[in-house]
Amino acid sequence: MIEFDHVTRTYGPKPAVTDLSLSIPRGELFALLGPNGAGKTTTIKMLVGLLRPSRGAVRISGHDLVKETRAAHLHTGYVPDEPTLYDKLTGREFLWFIADMFGMPRRIAGEKIGREIDHFELAECADDLAESYSLGMRQRLVFAAALLHDPDVLVLDEPMVGLDPRSVRIVKDLLKSRTREGMTVFMSTHTLAMAEELADRVGIMVRGQLRFLGTIAELRDQVATEHTSLENLYLELTTVQPVASAGTTPAEATGTP
Amino acid sequence: MNGISTSGRHEESCHLIAVEAESRVFSRLRAAIAWQTLRSMLSEARLRLALIVLLSAVFWALLYSLFFEAFSFLDSIHADVISLLFNAFFSSLMIMLVFSTGILLYGNMYCSPETRLLLTLPIRPEAIFAHKFIDAMWFSSWGFVLLGSPMLVAYGVVRGAPSTFYLLLLPFMVSFALIPASVGAMLCMAVVAWLGRLRMHALAILLTIAGAGAVWLGWSLLGSAATSGVTAEWFDTVITRLSIAEQKFLPSWWLASGLIEAARWGTQPEARFASLSEAGKFLAVLVSNGLLLYLLARRLARSSYRTGFSQLVSEMPARRQRRIAWFDEALSAAGTARGRPMRLLLVKDLRLFRRDIAQWSQFAIFFGLLGIYFFNLRAFNYNIAYASMISFLNLAVAGLILSTFTTRFVYPMISLEGRRFWILGLLPVHRDQIVWSKFLFSFIGGVLPCCGLLCLSDSMLGISPALLGVHEICGVVLCMGLSGIAVGLGAWMPDLREPSPAKIAAGFGGTLCLVLSSLFIVSVVTVAAVPTYLAMAGEAFGGGGPSSAGIFGWASGPLGTATSLLIVGVLGAIATFVPLQLGLRSFRQLEP
Repeated sequence: MIEFDHVTRTYGPKPAVTDLSLSIPRGELFALLGPNGAGKTTTIKMLVGLLRPSRGAVRISGHDLVKETRAAHLHTGYVPDEPTLYDKLTGREFLWFIADMFGMPRRIAGEKIGREIDHFELAECADDLAESYSLGMRQRLVFAAALLHDPDVLVLDEPMVGLDPRSVRIVKDLLKSRTREGMTVFMSTHTLAMAEELADRVGIMVRGQLRFLGTIAELRDQVATEHTSLENLYLELTTVQPVASAGTTPAEATGTP
Repeated sequence: MNGISTSGRHEESCHLIAVEAESRVFSRLRAAIAWQTLRSMLSEARLRLALIVLLSAVFWALLYSLFFEAFSFLDSIHADVISLLFNAFFSSLMIMLVFSTGILLYGNMYCSPETRLLLTLPIRPEAIFAHKFIDAMWFSSWGFVLLGSPMLVAYGVVRGAPSTFYLLLLPFMVSFALIPASVGAMLCMAVVAWLGRLRMHALAILLTIAGAGAVWLGWSLLGSAATSGVTAEWFDTVITRLSIAEQKFLPSWWLASGLIEAARWGTQPEARFASLSEAGKFLAVLVSNGLLLYLLARRLARSSYRTGFSQLVSEMPARRQRRIAWFDEALSAAGTARGRPMRLLLVKDLRLFRRDIAQWSQFAIFFGLLGIYFFNLRAFNYNIAYASMISFLNLAVAGLILSTFTTRFVYPMISLEGRRFWILGLLPVHRDQIVWSKFLFSFIGGVLPCCGLLCLSDSMLGISPALLGVHEICGVVLCMGLSGIAVGLGAWMPDLREPSPAKIAAGFGGTLCLVLSSLFIVSVVTVAAVPTYLAMAGEAFGGGGPSSAGIFGWASGPLGTATSLLIVGVLGAIATFVPLQLGLRSFRQLEP
């Protein structure tokens, strides 16, 4: 479903992601962990087509993100870390806009919009302008929009930011059920506990390179071998010497979201 | 795995849509946003909307009457001049539209959160371009409509144009605006995609070339007339030089010629038909060229937009050096401890201004060009009457340029604090101080170049020290009033959600700010010029005319001047404190 084939991305002379090769099969929930400036955002941006790899290729459902961008996007749903909405559209109008862009027939679109509004408990505010939404409501609406067309691949960048505990539970349950149905999820997160709870496999990225790739069980085995906690192992894996910050994206380097 | 497979559900539920369908979806989006915006304005800000419409109508009517008088005068003495003026006006407008559309598109296409959403959807890049292009063209052309429509309607009325002329105005204006807008779009995309990090340098070079071109044109128009004064010979020379703008390959010529043909109303039906068909031909040329350039721009978007966006996203911000930090520190430390918060806010705004190339470059270009023009005034030997008249016109020009700057950059300042409002809200400063700091920033920033330029203008014209004093007082009053209008209205009707200053300035509040600023400038300059005008009229009548006796004699004397300055001061106080009071009251109660 998702394939990174020897992907390198540089910012000027500085590498942000170096020779990343990774294949995530159908129905897997993959969590990408790493400290600030590790290259997670760059990887996500390449996966959704906002950034082009300097070398290598990224494919979704067999479609190259550079050569067949639209076809790849057709199979992708994306929830960014900062939800972008049209303030002067209602939640329902926004969902219709997304449905239209995905070429969904009106009848099916209507049904799915109703379904996602119910899933994310948006019925009360669906006909209000998005400018009146709280951060959590905005995030739930973006989730609804990303899942509207039943994508094969869902890309999540820090998905739980701004969500209240109930919404977090809704999202977690939904991710579990959708991955059981065959959807592939690629999630970037700082939260080790969430990765532990949800992910089939985790990747730990440091300075643009995958330092660890495996299942949570494999990560636990390593914990047991080294007689330490999961958190300590994570911190050990992600500790870098204080040298020039290679692998830093501009946004991460400047601390801007 | 249980249930229906995602892939299976996906296949049945969505597909890539056609170009036409993409356009339709974007049209629906724009219509929905426009409708919701209008609805919320009608329900929440009816009075403000009515005020803006009313003042815009007044401004339009004033411009119309001004152009009507000018065309009537020119039509009676030298009808051909109108064609030359149209060409000069439209060609300079064309250059401005190229830059303004290019700059707006840069922000819309590469820096907006909306495009980051759209680029992750299965949409053609050229469709996203088209959507943002319409936005940019609208925002860059509204000034053209506001200024151009009263001018062209006045021309039609003076020439007794047929009704077809008025019907053709909009198609002519839109098709003309499409050409520079498409060129600006292509330049913007090409610079981002192929010049990468060099784009700021490329923009600086382009602006320098444009500025040098304008200086050269001004120099060649005015420089040669040194020592000859404003005579018929000088007038002919200027007319000859103005014909530089009259080039048949320029869209401005097609527009000017098309409009002149459309306004012609022959006595014979054959002549009328010939004029109309000529106008139709020019319109066809404009439309076909506009559409061709637009298609080329779309093609460029298809091939370069995603690449350019990717390059821009991956750029590292340049490190900033602390070269003039000493000035900021000195300003922060100077004065009393009580005033320190306000000085710190001033320093913050000063830093933002210095680091925003769009702000200081436009400021430098506008006032630089004005300085060059003032410096060239020495080329003429004016009599005192002309010199006085020109000095007041220069006062108005300086005010108008300052008003465009206050509308474009000062008015959005409060709105732009929206996303950072939690910082300002938690600072140990009163909200009033935030508004007053913006006012001070605008006033100090404006008064120095404005008064300096007025001093230059008057010394080049050989104006008496007394009149120079009048102009300087007016300059200070204009800076105060314009700053008060911009800051006051900005605080009264902030748009805390909009991140683009261009869009904030182009909105209703910005339009109102520009309209009020223009009315204020016209009022101040008119009131200040009355005593001088009466004195000149008195001299023209050899001291025995009506202007030298009674009320006119008093008005043209020192008492009249003092009274006019008093009225100017009152106007300035109204323009400064009324909007500021409205703004302060609203800003105190603002709940972001």
